[in-house]
Amino acid sequence: MKPIVLKSLAAIKLTGYEKILLGVFACLFALFSLTAPNFLSSVNLQSMMVQMPEFGLIALGLMVVVMTAGIDLSVTYLAALSGIAIAWALVQGWPVPLALAAGAGAALLCGSFNALLIAGTGVSPIVLTLGSMILFEGIALRLTKGGSISGFPESYYLIGGGHIGPIPVPMLIFAVVAVLTAVLLNRTAWGRGVFMIGSNPTASKFSGIPVRSVLIRVYLFSAFMAFLAAIIMTSRYNSAKVDYGSSYLMQGLAAVVLGGTSITGGSGTVKGTVIGVAIFQILSSALNLYSISPHIVNVLMGGILIAVLLVDYLVKMRQRAARLRKAKGSQASSGGNAG
Amino acid sequence: MKRKGMVLFILSLALALVASACGGGSGGKGGGSGSSDGSYTIAVVPKLVGIPYFNASETGAKKAGEDLGVEVIYTGPTEPDAAQQVKVIEDLISKKVDAIAVAPNDPAALTPVLKKAKDAGILVMDWDTPADQSVVELSVHQIDDQQFGEHLVDKLVELMGDSGEFAIVTGGLSANNLNTWIDYGLKHIEANYPGLKLVTERVPSDEKQQVAYQKTLDLLKAYPNLKGFLGYSTPAPLGIAQAIQEKGLQDQIAVVGTALPTDSGPYLEDGSLDVAALWDPGKLGYLTVYLAKHALEGNKVENGMDVPNVGKIEVKSDGKTVIMGPPTDFLKDNYKNYDF
Repeated sequence: MKPIVLKSLAAIKLTGYEKILLGVFACLFALFSLTAPNFLSSVNLQSMMVQMPEFGLIALGLMVVVMTAGIDLSVTYLAALSGIAIAWALVQGWPVPLALAAGAGAALLCGSFNALLIAGTGVSPIVLTLGSMILFEGIALRLTKGGSISGFPESYYLIGGGHIGPIPVPMLIFAVVAVLTAVLLNRTAWGRGVFMIGSNPTASKFSGIPVRSVLIRVYLFSAFMAFLAAIIMTSRYNSAKVDYGSSYLMQGLAAVVLGGTSITGGSGTVKGTVIGVAIFQILSSALNLYSISPHIVNVLMGGILIAVLLVDYLVKMRQRAARLRKAKGSQASSGGNAG
Repeated sequence: MKRKGMVLFILSLALALVASACGGGSGGKGGGSGSSDGSYTIAVVPKLVGIPYFNASETGAKKAGEDLGVEVIYTGPTEPDAAQQVKVIEDLISKKVDAIAVAPNDPAALTPVLKKAKDAGILVMDWDTPADQSVVELSVHQIDDQQFGEHLVDKLVELMGDSGEFAIVTGGLSANNLNTWIDYGLKHIEANYPGLKLVTERVPSDEKQQVAYQKTLDLLKAYPNLKGFLGYSTPAPLGIAQAIQEKGLQDQIAVVGTALPTDSGPYLEDGSLDVAALWDPGKLGYLTVYLAKHALEGNKVENGMDVPNVGKIEVKSDGKTVIMGPPTDFLKDNYKNYDF
């Protein structure tokens, strides 16, 4: 087991940016280990490993959508609806696997709504998912009247609270899903399609890439990630409510951009997103351990998102200017335009 | 790309240094287990931070910490969100505090994490609103729930008569304390005031005065024959009163709710709010910390015991439900006597 794990870890290559990101993570981790009380305690490490996956799964779903130069604003309320479906089923007495199927069904239904409208019409994803976000929230509110649904069987708690060895079950789910996502993106035609559509949708269409079918699967993927996050959340919080996880949308986008995914599409890696998510997690835990007022935590998270987006924008501008200079330079040296 | 990385690197180092400077100072003092310097670390977690009611309880809790020589960490989510509250408690468990007293936004949602705390050897108790009783060792109530629920209804009937339409605006829909008071109130109405008609289910306002205000305006439009409102959670009665004031309906509609005397002042003056019934949240915070220390030292709570700065408390026969005292009515002519 160990040699296989080590070999596959060694096979992971990191881009320059990812190396820096990993460096940032390592430095922060070291800093917090030394200064934040009990950061390295097994309780806190477990705590972080349990809190990260629900956020990380949503971030992975967002990443794939953002890579196509799209966005899915409805993902957190989609997760809420999925969770409500699971909760309702469990309370009715359905066995856990059936209840999970109900949640998956709800998520994929909502996902198809997004997928078909975005892929089928020319509506911009931000506008459509803004609408579907409000729609899903409304449906969730109608179903729950704003309250929470609880009363699950004890066995359901094992998903959110169980461990295999020292690793919590949610973290294992997240790890497996991250690896699968990387494989899907790098080794399948769908994955290639995702990159290309994000880089240049027109060229992709004319190159024979089935844009509509790829996009549909992208939004279904995002919905499925939301469903997985919903399972973990309903298990951890022992209940389902319309606003669980609603803060993960903005934080998820921040983590995705932090991880190196371009907000204009065309590039992004699972490794980057995972490191980005991990950085946000240790930051959040350390700030709590420092007993910093929760209001300031929000200020810092918001500040980070803005700083990251600004830097991303500035770098893009610089890159574009550099490309233009290079292009102008080669034009001049090859003697100007023909004719 | 490398440039972006460098900027991020510097940014994050700066951030982390600032964070550790801010918090390392205050956090470092209480770090590790409280027993290292002999005093206990008691964490008090409200439903949310930032509303006057829970700011007042923070003052009381911190004062108790000073008086009793224990360290009090008062922290909570910025919204009345159970999921965020779970995170706060998980991090408190990592901090290895000695006791956690929580006012749950949703008792079921907190049960798994409170169980975790209990397994870690932390004293778990609830205050202000009950949690799952199988995981708490002490349950601190500010008043007798049934008495309070019925009292609010009696006050409403005094003002609007015993027949007519009324509506209920509450805080969070899954808050145990609010629901208990409402349910006792409704039972009381069913038994004694059958002429009172509730126009629709209890309307949530999530501890936001603005939302309560908006919802009240909607209710007034939808049910033009309303004669009374019951407001639960401290921002709600103020929001209701605000709407009544705007519409000039002070004399037609009776408003009774749970609100702080100082905030209720302007609305009590012009009659848009008729009665605000509450207790001193500062005292509640003080009592919570006092009882936590009391339990950590291995003592049991006794019915009728006298708590300094709080008064005589009542303990129910289960040995763990504590009642601080009777509620106080704040009216136009007495609200000025209180400073919370």
